[in-house]
Amino acid sequence: MSDFTSLAELVINGNYNGAKDLTQKMIDNGNDPLEIINQGLMAGMNVVGVRFKAGDMYVPEVMMSAKAMSTGIELLKPLIADKDMPTAGKVVIGTVKGDLHDIGKKLVVMMMESAGFEIIDLGVDIDPAAFVKAVKEHSPQAIGLSALLTTTMLSMKDTIEALKEEGLRDSVKVVIGGAPISQSFADEIGADGYAADAASATELCRRIIA
Amino acid sequence: MRKIRSNSIEQTTPLLRWVSEGQIEEIHFATLEVLERTGVKVDHPEALQLLKDAGCIVNENRVRIPSWLVEECLRLAPRKIVVANRKGQRVMPLEKNRTYFGTGSDLPYTIDLETGKRRRSGKRDVELACRVMDYLPNYDFVMSYAIAADTSPKVSDLHQLEAMVTNTTKPMIVTAHDEINMRAQLEMAALVAGGKEELRKNPFMILYSEPISPLVHTNDGVGKMFACFEYGVPVVYTPGVLSGATTPVTKAGTIVLMNAEALAGVVMAQLKQKGAPIIIGGGATPMDMKTTATLYGSPETMMNYAIMTQLSQFYGIPNFTEAGCVNSPIPDAQAGMEAGNGILMAQLMGANLVHDVGYLEGGKTGSLTFLTMCNDYMDNARYMGRGTRIDEETMAVDVIDEVGPGGNYVSHEHTFKHFREEIWSSKQFNSSFWEIWEEQGSKSMEDKAEELTKHIVATHTSELLDGAIREGLNEIIAETEKVKSNK
Ligand code: B12
Repeated sequence: MSDFTSLAELVINGNYNGAKDLTQKMIDNGNDPLEIINQGLMAGMNVVGVRFKAGDMYVPEVMMSAKAMSTGIELLKPLIADKDMPTAGKVVIGTVKGDLHDIGKKLVVMMMESAGFEIIDLGVDIDPAAFVKAVKEHSPQAIGLSALLTTTMLSMKDTIEALKEEGLRDSVKVVIGGAPISQSFADEIGADGYAADAASATELCRRIIA
Repeated sequence: MRKIRSNSIEQTTPLLRWVSEGQIEEIHFATLEVLERTGVKVDHPEALQLLKDAGCIVNENRVRIPSWLVEECLRLAPRKIVVANRKGQRVMPLEKNRTYFGTGSDLPYTIDLETGKRRRSGKRDVELACRVMDYLPNYDFVMSYAIAADTSPKVSDLHQLEAMVTNTTKPMIVTAHDEINMRAQLEMAALVAGGKEELRKNPFMILYSEPISPLVHTNDGVGKMFACFEYGVPVVYTPGVLSGATTPVTKAGTIVLMNAEALAGVVMAQLKQKGAPIIIGGGATPMDMKTTATLYGSPETMMNYAIMTQLSQFYGIPNFTEAGCVNSPIPDAQAGMEAGNGILMAQLMGANLVHDVGYLEGGKTGSLTFLTMCNDYMDNARYMGRGTRIDEETMAVDVIDEVGPGGNYVSHEHTFKHFREEIWSSKQFNSSFWEIWEEQGSKSMEDKAEELTKHIVATHTSELLDGAIREGLNEIIAETEKVKSNK
């Protein structure tokens, strides 16, 4: 088995100590840092994503795999120029105003990070102005809004309107999710996408950012 | 004189204990350790000050609560809380081992009774659910069931209360957006009860407020609770968790963490007001590690509630648990199993307020038909909970002798006298022979429950609320909406 396959395997198994050691060894052996990420760490994580979606892996296992991947990436980061760092895209995410539910959003964040997205998590109870500010500051390709309450989901519409007012709507995709959210609500308020769970949230973002 | 057997102990009802008294103490001590070592976060300024003054170690909003204070407050909290119905009759004494069933609140979706299609919930769904539960005898209290999503979001909770009090006389548990709306609901309740004094004497309403796991007590959550105590209205202050996400994945760890949150609530309540009527417990649901869904109908929840009920009995504080809430999206065989197990366990453990009965899809979808089906599940569980009567009359040795070998009992007086209480009978459950069942339309239990539900909706209304009071309620709603819009 090549070092790359072994590294991917360690990620799949969530063996973060092993992944760290092997990454270091591969660096020491002179492997290309980007190749270690793409053909080792990310390759493993891609398998994890597929298995999770198929119901063959569970959330805590995915979390461990993500940890294994990021311990490797931590070692590689200093060796790669910022602009060369592979990323699936940058996404700002938050739970909307008046809403304190954050478990689902956190899971979306963790899943997307593990799929290679760069995520800026604003937290809970975020009003439209704060989303606008974050879009200006970070220029993400997408923003993700989470709402678990029927009373707070309307704030999603307000956020979209606020983005329009600032002339930012065309520069950023808006994806939404949470218990009372549906595709028809997403269409109604003019969001670019809706996903029912964390795994499909990742797929959705991949699709619309590509 | 009747001759009694010596050394005789009678067990009238089954006796279910999940763990030993010693294990309950172990959980208690672990809880005290969490409160003293890790402490909690409190975002309510008044509560923070009270905790500080009482001797807690306070660092910004992190509060470490000493064991002695927790135990002192546990002694102050009432062992018995009496809840009345809308008419002021004291129908629901929350005492150790008295079990009451009711549904939950705020379901975003409803399976429409007429079309069978799932759609967004509205105020009319709250009204209908309350009418159905007003009719069905095994519902002891109501919650809103649906969310009034078609009313102004600023005051949708007030609309829900309005729909509830006008469509049932049963005791109710409410949710509130924030302290302002809570105070408006308290005014509405006082109006219905015939004044603040009457409401205080015989409260017909309970608030359901929540800390946020792990270990966070929000300004709104505590504020709503404190407002209720000013009116003498009892408060359920309990977390809703996801084991493995907001609590440790282990059942015992989940219980310890939830208990710590509940007891922090007890401390704040008793510091605010000695004897404040607080109810502990919570929703101890694990997270499905495949789908991330909240597992309401799982075996773990029922096991957790068994221990949490024992804990509340150990403390002598009424408790709040769940049963009859399922993960199946439709009222099918899975739903029956999930609901039946939980309801029976709650009944046998003697949990006090058992809510969320009739929830589908892990607390996101409602169905009036399923509410009706659960009425029979509860009936069945209550029947089993009554236990097996053992005495001369029921052992029937005389009758056995009289009938003798080879006879029959069906025409015997003894059978006539006892069959109704000795054999449970249900209108909704199918038990007829195949041909008869076919003749009668091959209806499943669900079909029959749907028919009954339609009948209830068409014919039953609860005792009417006075017109002037209804007007007053709408005025409070309008007034609150105005206040909120100006903010
Ligand atoms: C846990 C919980 C709580 C916890 C939250 C703790 C926390 N730290 O988040 C507590 C106890 C604090 C709570 C409080 C309340 N809750 Co609550 N809560 C729940 C519960 C049981 C589970 C939610 C959850 O975390 N699920 C697990 C996660 C993993 O799933 P998820 O959130 O759906 O997220 C997944 C997807 O939706 C999606 N997703 C989520 N966000 C996003 C974002 C994007 C961009 C995308 C693409 C996808 C996506 O991916 C996620 C991962 O797979 C739900 C019922 C339910 N089954 O949903 C009620 C529920 C959401 N709550 C409800 C209510 C009413 C309340 C309260 C108002 C009750 C009260 N007594 O006051 C308060 C409101 C507090 C507030 N202001 O926010 C209602 C909402 C009804 C409505 N539609 O308005 C529900 C549906 C329960 C019910 N029927 O009553 N709640």
